[in-house]
Amino acid sequence: MLGLSFVELIELFIKVLIFPGTLFSLLFSIIVIWFERKFLARMHLRIGPLHVGPFNRLGLFQPIADFLKLVQKEIITPSKANNFLYRLMPMLAAFLSALSIAFIPYALDPSGGYWVIFYTPLSLLVILVILTAKPFIMVGAGWAANNKYCTIGALRAAFQLLAYEIPIVLSLVGIVIVARSFDLAKIVEAQSSVWLIILQPIGFIVILIGMMAELLRRPFDIPLAEQEVVFGWPTEYTGVQFALVMVSEYFDLCVTASLITILFLGGWSGPAIPLLHDISPMLSGIFWFLLKMAVITVIIIMGRGVFPRLRIDQLLESGWTILIPFAIIQILITLATAQWWLPLIGG
Amino acid sequence: MKLSMGPQHPVTSHFRFILDVDGDAVLNFEWDVGYTHRGIEKIAENRIYVQNIPVVERINSYCDSIGTTLGYVEVVEELMDIQIPDRAKYLRVIAAELNRIASHLYAVSLVGISAGFETMLMWTINDRELILDLLVKLSGQRITYTYPTIGGVRWDMPDGFKEEALERLGYLEKRLEDYYRMMAWNRTFQMRFKNVGILKSSDAVGLGIVGPNLRASGVKVDVRKDEPYEVYDRFDFEVPTGKNGDSFDRASMRLKEIEQSIVILRQALKDIPNGPIKCSPKGSKVPPTAPRGEAYSRVESARGEFGYYLVSDGKSKPYRLKISTPSFRNLPALPFLCRNIPLGDIPVIFITFDYIPLDVDR
Amino acid sequence: MSDKSVEHQVVEDVKANFPEDVLEIDVQRRGRVSISVKRNIIYDVSLFLRDKLGFDHIASVSGVDHIDEKEFEVIYHAWSIDKKILAALRTRIPRDNPVLKSLIDVWKGALYHERETWEMFGIKFEGHPNLSLFLLPEDWLGIPPLRKDFVLPKRPQE
Repeated sequence: MLGLSFVELIELFIKVLIFPGTLFSLLFSIIVIWFERKFLARMHLRIGPLHVGPFNRLGLFQPIADFLKLVQKEIITPSKANNFLYRLMPMLAAFLSALSIAFIPYALDPSGGYWVIFYTPLSLLVILVILTAKPFIMVGAGWAANNKYCTIGALRAAFQLLAYEIPIVLSLVGIVIVARSFDLAKIVEAQSSVWLIILQPIGFIVILIGMMAELLRRPFDIPLAEQEVVFGWPTEYTGVQFALVMVSEYFDLCVTASLITILFLGGWSGPAIPLLHDISPMLSGIFWFLLKMAVITVIIIMGRGVFPRLRIDQLLESGWTILIPFAIIQILITLATAQWWLPLIGG
Repeated sequence: MKLSMGPQHPVTSHFRFILDVDGDAVLNFEWDVGYTHRGIEKIAENRIYVQNIPVVERINSYCDSIGTTLGYVEVVEELMDIQIPDRAKYLRVIAAELNRIASHLYAVSLVGISAGFETMLMWTINDRELILDLLVKLSGQRITYTYPTIGGVRWDMPDGFKEEALERLGYLEKRLEDYYRMMAWNRTFQMRFKNVGILKSSDAVGLGIVGPNLRASGVKVDVRKDEPYEVYDRFDFEVPTGKNGDSFDRASMRLKEIEQSIVILRQALKDIPNGPIKCSPKGSKVPPTAPRGEAYSRVESARGEFGYYLVSDGKSKPYRLKISTPSFRNLPALPFLCRNIPLGDIPVIFITFDYIPLDVDR
Repeated sequence: MSDKSVEHQVVEDVKANFPEDVLEIDVQRRGRVSISVKRNIIYDVSLFLRDKLGFDHIASVSGVDHIDEKEFEVIYHAWSIDKKILAALRTRIPRDNPVLKSLIDVWKGALYHERETWEMFGIKFEGHPNLSLFLLPEDWLGIPPLRKDFVLPKRPQE
């Protein structure tokens, strides 16, 4: 099968089913949902989820209970909706979001190569392509639901996502110049001596803001603005379809956090953790990766407690007039100064 | 495209807006109200004067019920020519100001949520509970107090109320700083609220806007100063006004008024005299009927000026009770302001005017 | 203070300008002036009140159904921000022909007040742009509910 040996097959199964595949991404979603609720509750001076699950007053299993509730619910399709598209889009959203995870290397494989489901030297480009497909899902779902709020939300999402892809791609240019590769693994290796966040702070900020906009997190959750368009493009979804939309959102968060970790925080590089390193050097790498991911996730989540929502025109304006110029400045700085610090990172 | 916003929508409560939308721009705004119409003016014609107190309270039950009932009680007292004891007047002021604080905190919380600022919502709602606790101590209820009654107030202050109130007011004063920082130091908040929905003072007066919304436009109108009822003339307080009349001014106006309410409350709690809290049954008894005639009372509630116009034909029930509510009088502002603005500004402008559907519909 | 209060000054000003058509005018108490006029000049008086005397802040528009006299009374309460007086501008119109000139040109804020008075009393305001049901349900067919001949349905007796 696929010309793989038995050991490789087992390894593939572990990658797909456990880490970084299904189990990890679902666990990540559940933990992040729980953490987000609890964390925001503390920011709000509330208690948050309380009763469900073990450990008194933690409410650990609240997301699971919510998910079970959503699964049990009836799927309601609006009578005037385009049935096929309406049902397809949540699945497609979850699928596409999950797909990106396949291309992200999470650690060095002890037997050589990288711990990634599908290795390709063009992984950064592939992820960008998948990212670009997201507005189409939103527009499709918003249009198919045949609801005015959905349509407005979908169009807002399209504007926002398309506008913020440009600064992201422009900032990636700087990274690719440094790493001289579209391979995420190579980008990590290029940071073995110094992280890119130190060399390209402007690019980091641009990408962080741009990614928050891509994820529709709080200051940029305009397409989902509850007070304006109820819930934007997924307004009409119920039950398991809504669960899929939510899951896709948190898969995206997982991908984004991983991506930023790889691009700017040196991925799995870090000092060896004694106990984990003894078992396998890979575990140590995974530990560092997850730690950095967690930091990025918290920063992204924190926006919800700190900022009010922007308006769509303000968002687009700041996207075009602030982020893009800064991204270009970063490229110019990179080009102008590359000769001094490229040797630094072994380029 | 016609967009029907409400009556089931996260922000419009029981209102419905009929919007003409072009892309993300709102071209025209039209009200559709009446989803909570109960005909209180008609019900009031069929109840005796005392029975009407809880009825009119339902005009504005969940926010400022003291202000609402106070207006009614005052108009009846004016018509019946009842003088109420001093302590009752002070207690009314204390209850009204506490209720104003609670109502304004509620309004500020909604201001936060109108732009998706959940932290502001939770913090202010949390602190509102402290004030509601005080009102529970005073009247026994959290929301509908029915505290003022014809000829006085229903209950006296419990023991230790004064100390506890002062302590909580001190805490609230500190928290006000936080709230103000939340508004003024948060750039995103300013981006959303500054220069949005600017209502000039001349327009505001012409449209008949009342209360903090009018004051935010820079017009110094406050019934407590202009026509002091109860004992407001004995207190030393300011009437804060805004400069630009934009949404930011309207939102921060509420915080400034809470500050002034605390000032009034401190004085009232200090000066409150001893004595009866109702007209004594022996002396001036509250008559069951009002003499033939009419009266118009004005009360500054949290949302603005309540006007009660009472016509009596000498019987035990009102002949006509017209209630001019602040939210109803603020209605013309939104169609005036919501033209050619982004859709995202609709909740911001709507919420900063602090409408209450119950109040509009009666 | 001068010998005349502000309220009496207002009364005299109105009297001097509309000597014939003002039916009754008096000061009810401090800060309350009641001006009763014929229905045909209500527009002119309101304009005078707003422009010359500064009653620029509309407070309420109320209807009263005097069913025994077969008349409606319409009362415009307007507040003067400078003078701190509330003027009640009132007029009586026959019950079988309840038509009155709309004052929304004078007080823009009266728009919804008049619309409410229309639906609650059936008083037609000439020149009002939108006299349609506002608070009542869209399919309301009965007589206007605040008229005195509208009787509330009784509670079912046990």
